Amino acid sequence: MIHVQHLTKTYDDLQRGRFVAVDEVSFSVNRGEIFGLLGPNGAGKTTVLRILSTVLSPTSGIANVAGYDVVTDPAEVRRHIGFVSNNTAIYDRMTAWEMVEYFGRLHGMSASHLNERLETLFTQLRMNDFRDVPGAKMSTGMKQKVSIARAMVHDPPVLIFDEATLGLDVLVARNLLAVIRSLRDAGKCLIFSTHIMSEVERLCDRIAIMHRGKILDSGTLPELRDRHDEHDFEELFFGLLSRHEHADCEALQSHPDGLAPVDFTNPATSMEARS
Amino acid sequence: MNLTSQQKRKKARTAGRPRLSAIWLIYAREMRDQLRDRRTLFTIAILPILLYPLVGMLLLQIAQFTRQHPTSIVVVGTEFLTDAPPLLEGEKFAEGLADNNERLELIHYKWSDIASHSDVAEETSAWVRDGSFDLVIMVPPEFADSSLRGVDEKASVQLLYNVASDQSMVARDRVMTVLSAWRGSWIRDRLATSGVDMTMLDPFKLNDVDIAPERTREAAFWSKLLPFIMLVWAMTGAFYPAIDLVAGEKERGTLETLLCSPALRGEIVWGKLGAVTTFSMLTAILNAGSMLVTSTFVFGQIGLGGANAAMGSPPLAPMLWLLVALVPLSALFSALALAVAAMARSSKEGQYYLMPLMMVTLPLVLLPMLPGTTLSVGTSLIPVTGMFLLVRSLVEGQYATAIMYIPMVAFVTGLCLWMATRWARSQFDDESVLFGGGEQWELSMWVRHLWRDRQTAATPAQAFACGAIILVTLFFGKLAVTDVPTDFVGIAKLVSLPQFAMILFPAIMMALVLTTSVRKSLRIRMPHWTVLPLSVLVGFTLHPAYTLLARSVSYAYPISEEAALAMQPFVQQITDAPWVSIILLMALVPAICEELAFRGFIFGGLVRENGRFRAVVVTAIMFGISHGIVQQSICATFMGLMLGWVALRTGSVLPGILIHFTNNTMSVSMDRIMNSGWEGSQLLMHSTEAGPEYRPVWIIISTLMAVACLLYIASLRPAVDEAKADLVESDLEYIDPTKAIAVSM
Ligand SMILES: Nc1ncnc2c1ncn2[C@@H]1O[C@H](COP(=O)(O)OP(=O)(O)OP(=O)(O)O)[C@@H](O)[C@H]1O
Ligand SMILES: [Mg+2]
Repeated sequence: MIHVQHLTKTYDDLQRGRFVAVDEVSFSVNRGEIFGLLGPNGAGKTTVLRILSTVLSPTSGIANVAGYDVVTDPAEVRRHIGFVSNNTAIYDRMTAWEMVEYFGRLHGMSASHLNERLETLFTQLRMNDFRDVPGAKMSTGMKQKVSIARAMVHDPPVLIFDEATLGLDVLVARNLLAVIRSLRDAGKCLIFSTHIMSEVERLCDRIAIMHRGKILDSGTLPELRDRHDEHDFEELFFGLLSRHEHADCEALQSHPDGLAPVDFTNPATSMEARS
Repeated sequence: MNLTSQQKRKKARTAGRPRLSAIWLIYAREMRDQLRDRRTLFTIAILPILLYPLVGMLLLQIAQFTRQHPTSIVVVGTEFLTDAPPLLEGEKFAEGLADNNERLELIHYKWSDIASHSDVAEETSAWVRDGSFDLVIMVPPEFADSSLRGVDEKASVQLLYNVASDQSMVARDRVMTVLSAWRGSWIRDRLATSGVDMTMLDPFKLNDVDIAPERTREAAFWSKLLPFIMLVWAMTGAFYPAIDLVAGEKERGTLETLLCSPALRGEIVWGKLGAVTTFSMLTAILNAGSMLVTSTFVFGQIGLGGANAAMGSPPLAPMLWLLVALVPLSALFSALALAVAAMARSSKEGQYYLMPLMMVTLPLVLLPMLPGTTLSVGTSLIPVTGMFLLVRSLVEGQYATAIMYIPMVAFVTGLCLWMATRWARSQFDDESVLFGGGEQWELSMWVRHLWRDRQTAATPAQAFACGAIILVTLFFGKLAVTDVPTDFVGIAKLVSLPQFAMILFPAIMMALVLTTSVRKSLRIRMPHWTVLPLSVLVGFTLHPAYTLLARSVSYAYPISEEAALAMQPFVQQITDAPWVSIILLMALVPAICEELAFRGFIFGGLVRENGRFRAVVVTAIMFGISHGIVQQSICATFMGLMLGWVALRTGSVLPGILIHFTNNTMSVSMDRIMNSGWEGSQLLMHSTEAGPEYRPVWIIISTLMAVACLLYIASLRPAVDEAKADLVESDLEYIDPTKAIAVSM
């Protein structure tokens, strides 16, 4: 349902000049599958997912979602996806119910169908007790639930979650993961970005490890373990990352006059939280 | 779900069209959202409803306060008014001297009363200075001596007043009338005693009658003030919702939610634009309405209305025209505000951005308030101002005039509206506008960025900067020139210096420093070879149409006599100088300098990132403004549009240089061709009092020929598509390590 080939995105940035945030990324996700995009801060996960949701346009490469190209048919792509990210906030002056209803109507759902769907969603996500609370008065967990309900209101075949568990307590996060699993069982195609390993281990069918805009490796968890001969996933992740850093440093040292847009000599920079 | 790809494409295409239902949905949500916001409601509805009555009440209070304070006047030296007609009558001025004795408080003293204990002049000055009295009339002892009265300064009646006090100034005016009436009656007495016939003093009676119908008289005041109030409020009313609906939503993160919903960018823009326009109109109507109601009431109370009904209550029915005009203007302001607000990342930043917008639009609203500005061909073509003046004439009932200008005003307003909405639309398609920025700015970093990220052509920002530098230096350059030189060398300097130093130099410098290829950034490319001779032909055949345009422009906006007179020595020198040097100076130099700057460097920057339309329009406007004189600027802007279009079609600056050169050559050569005695010239032109002019037939034929040439040029495709050209062409070394090896070897 999602096919990404040689996707590249560059930003023009004052500090770093022309900055390659996503570099020739390719992967595909099938129906009934949860695909995990794992990477440290600034790896380019959000950028990939924003391109898939047509909010950003790719610099080059192809991204196809539910049979539609994100560049030529962005409107159709948006009809077939639900996008939840920590950048997609909810309106302060709208209640939970109004919010979800509004997006349902933007999807062109009929009133009766929409009402039915809202009732099921609100029950499924346990949102009935804050139906009429305006966004400004909700807690982070409530807001996240509303966002998820908003993304699922039109029952899209493709769901994109960008760090959906960010800021949620264990209870709500578990609940959310359960919802995601049930969506997979219902045959949806899910793509899920995070930097929390345990979530990936428990949830994802296939995983891609991203760093500095590149996919370092991808495959199912057992495949990855086999390939790198490392049972502990966290060790695997760090090993992969540091090997990549190392290769970059060497490349730089052998060609000192190659102007680097990123400070490769300090591998720690990209691991720090973005300010 | 098993659709063929063709069916899918078809469905996808329909999905890309804006739907009315979605626009309405977004509009309704934005409206509801704003109405749930206490701040918006307060500024838009509550404030005007409360503000004007409060101010009105205050005014009433002040009015009552001033009414309780009649003007107080002291007369000193009453004992010396002996052999004159009576000035005073008890505690008042004499009958017939003052119109309204009631609001005067008059006290009088004998000179000796005061002189007995202090100096009169000092004492009375102190009274006026400390405000115990508004005015003192001093009749000095010498006044009593009738032989001194007419000649000696010392014998003159003195008025002591304080210019810093309004009350005192009012008192002075009133006393002046009283005294001149007094003097008149004195003269009349004297003449009567010497036996002059009194009717001789008044050869005729004067009676001025205002025949304007009641309605117009009141409308005249309101038709000036009310549109102004409404437009200012329409602007303010558009700003705050625009900031909240775009910058505010960006800040709160809800914009991205909307962008990843099935709503199209177009639907979002139209929905938001609708909401902002509604608020703009509501603010304007509520404010103007509240002001009308209050002022009617207050003026009635104070009594300023009534007899001299300059400010009576306004006639309501004609004011409805205002509402009609408010719709497009509100939409215009809203679209502009929306486009500007889109650049901001937060509400706070949005307010910084809207201030300059206000500064740009305010003069258009203020211009019609200047005395003597009336609806004419010229003013009707100025955006906002034209609409304002049109409404004014409608309100005043001058329907005949108004109808004549409706098409022009409607066209200009429509055009502006279209451009503004297009801009707003393009802002929402630009991801660097929606997601960009946020980083901190540092000079050294920026300079490094400029150098490190040099590209083959200018960036749009650099192009704008180049245009701004050129226009600003030209402006200051113009200020520096105080007098027009009278010899040819001086004129040659005057013309060529700005061309080289202020137009060409900045462009070349920026091309050298900020780009990697001077040739490409100035767009010096060889177009298809046929274009070059055709360009000369276009320049030649378009010149008649251009002169026609220039003449109509100077008819619509006549050149002032002083300006024409100041230009006289200049024109004289140009006519007398040798032909070749004139062509060099007036045709070759401007053609090369201006084209390289405007259709070269600036155009090349603006056309990128799909800015074809932007490149053509903005360079034309900059080119126009660079001409300094309004009439020339207008013609040059039209010329610039054509040149820009040719530049776009050919992808090169060369055709523009040729057209520009030929056109200017024709302009400076018409006289000489006419006088050369060449017979062919008679076919094309004939001489008139204002110099040689083209024959109408030739104007038509030549324009057709020019259009044919331009159509041919339109059919060509430029060798490189600059609009889609990649930003960086040669700077990718760091991605390809092999290249770095090659360099190091
Ligand atoms: N609008 C922008 N302009 C310039 N650079 C940007 C922009 N948005 C993102 N970037 C840069 O692109 C890179 C990738 O960012 P992205 O948000 O995709 O990372 P991420 O993997 O989602 O990180 P995180 O885990 O912190 O969310 C970062 O280095 C970021 O600084
Ligand atoms: Mg992210």
